[in-house]
Amino acid sequence: MIEVENLSRVYVDTPVVDGLSFHVPEGQILGFLGPNGAGKTTVMRMMTGFLPPTTGRVVVAGVDLDADPVGLRRKIGYLPENVPLYPELRVDEYLRFRADVEGVRRPELSESLEYVVERCMLSDVRRQAIGTLSKGYRQRVGLAGALIHKPPVLILDEPTVGLDPNQIIKIRELITELGRDHTVVLSTHILPEVEQICERVFIIDHGRVVADGTPEALRTKLIGNPVVRVEIRGAGDDAAESLGRLPGVVAVNRRADGVFLIEHAGDADPREGVFHLAVDRGWILLGLTPQRATLEDVFVRLTTADDAAPMAASAAQEV
Amino acid sequence: MAALIIWLRALAAIIRRELIATFSSPLAYIVLAAFLLLQGALFSLILGYLSQPGQSSMSILQAFFGGTIFFWFFLVVAPLITMRLVAEERRSGTIEVLLTSPVTETQVIIGKFAAVFIFYLALWTPTLVYVLMVKSQAAIDWGAVASSYLGVALFGALFVSLGLFASTLARSQIIAAVIAFTGLIILFGLPLTRGLLLSSSGLGAVIDHADLWQQMADYAKGIVDTRYVVYELSLTGLFLFLSTKSLELGKWR
Repeated sequence: MIEVENLSRVYVDTPVVDGLSFHVPEGQILGFLGPNGAGKTTVMRMMTGFLPPTTGRVVVAGVDLDADPVGLRRKIGYLPENVPLYPELRVDEYLRFRADVEGVRRPELSESLEYVVERCMLSDVRRQAIGTLSKGYRQRVGLAGALIHKPPVLILDEPTVGLDPNQIIKIRELITELGRDHTVVLSTHILPEVEQICERVFIIDHGRVVADGTPEALRTKLIGNPVVRVEIRGAGDDAAESLGRLPGVVAVNRRADGVFLIEHAGDADPREGVFHLAVDRGWILLGLTPQRATLEDVFVRLTTADDAAPMAASAAQEV
Repeated sequence: MAALIIWLRALAAIIRRELIATFSSPLAYIVLAAFLLLQGALFSLILGYLSQPGQSSMSILQAFFGGTIFFWFFLVVAPLITMRLVAEERRSGTIEVLLTSPVTETQVIIGKFAAVFIFYLALWTPTLVYVLMVKSQAAIDWGAVASSYLGVALFGALFVSLGLFASTLARSQIIAAVIAFTGLIILFGLPLTRGLLLSSSGLGAVIDHADLWQQMADYAKGIVDTRYVVYELSLTGLFLFLSTKSLELGKWR
């Protein structure tokens, strides 16, 4: 559905986006994740034809950006960062404006309007001026505007920024739902968001993809083996050694306070073994918790290390 | 055919949105009120002046439209009504939505120009009342009235296209207004430089033709000189072209 080849954007000798290539199959929800200034917005602006790429090719739904920029824009519904809207317009006036500008045909107009109003839950504010709406509503108006011409591809730049937790949950549900009918590319710097919504994640830093994969795959590939945190009272000196002999255990790290961090192979859960061992030896088991590495860890590790780029390049291939 | 209809519909949507924005800001009403006030004051002044004995060489409408005082008002009005057009969309980011929809820069510029030109013409509609007032008291040269309004329209097109171009150059409305104001000063002030040039220089003749005061006086007399019409239309076209290019180039910044 989306093909991006070797996309670059250079601002006065500094590459903001540096040779990005990726394909997004139809129906996928792809998340761009990266610290501020990583180049997420620039990539999206180039994909929507707002910013001309320095080099590279963008093809969306079979339309090439170079050959037919206006045609490409028909295939995309774009919600820019901070949801720019016209505050003086009423919601239905704005949606009507977007429909005309996006080239929605007359016979489909009222059906399109009903569709987006219903989908984005705007029926109770239709007659209200946009300037008087809350941030959550404005976000939904922006989304409705991007959806009005039923584009195959939706590009959403930080769609949940500045919303309160309830609004965030609603918007996330909406995006997940939209992902069934549209190919979605969204950017965010909120990690749980990506884990919740996206089927695939790109971690972007300094204009390059430093990791690409499902949230699951990224976690295991990049963080390494899963770890179980075990807290034991009355463990003997040889406890670490005994724990290390349990099946699937790769390494045991004993901390001073009676906590053992047991690293194990991904498919072997050592917790039952730990329990039986504790019963046999008469240890008092105070805690037994799998330590789930989050994408947060992946993110921090990838975007703060100086050697992030080379490591990521190999990681991206592996995943 | 279907493509043309869609093209026109998008253009109409841009014009409509622009007019809603214009009339939902207090600025539009302030400008309208000030305009009415000044027009009325000027009209009654001229009326008083021409009512004095021995002052009947000029028709009242000719003095009104050809009067040089009134056009100075546009030095301020044109920047005020055009500064918002593109600068505000850049500042708020709505330009990004507009330019990533399937409309072209040309459509955006034509739409914005049309909307502000409609507003400019709306400013002038109350003057029709004066024409009717004069008609009730004296004979009227309808040809001169028509050519006066033609002049008003042509000048307006030139002024607002210049303002629109200035608005594409800046993100801040104030800066856009200052650029437009400067441009208009140059346009208005050109004839004043005539005295500084040697009379033999060819430039002097060019400036004579670009003299807006002379042009308006002629329109008010009922003279439609095609050179003037071409001058105004071509400058308007130039500014609209530059605006389109500036909008395209704005993407590169």
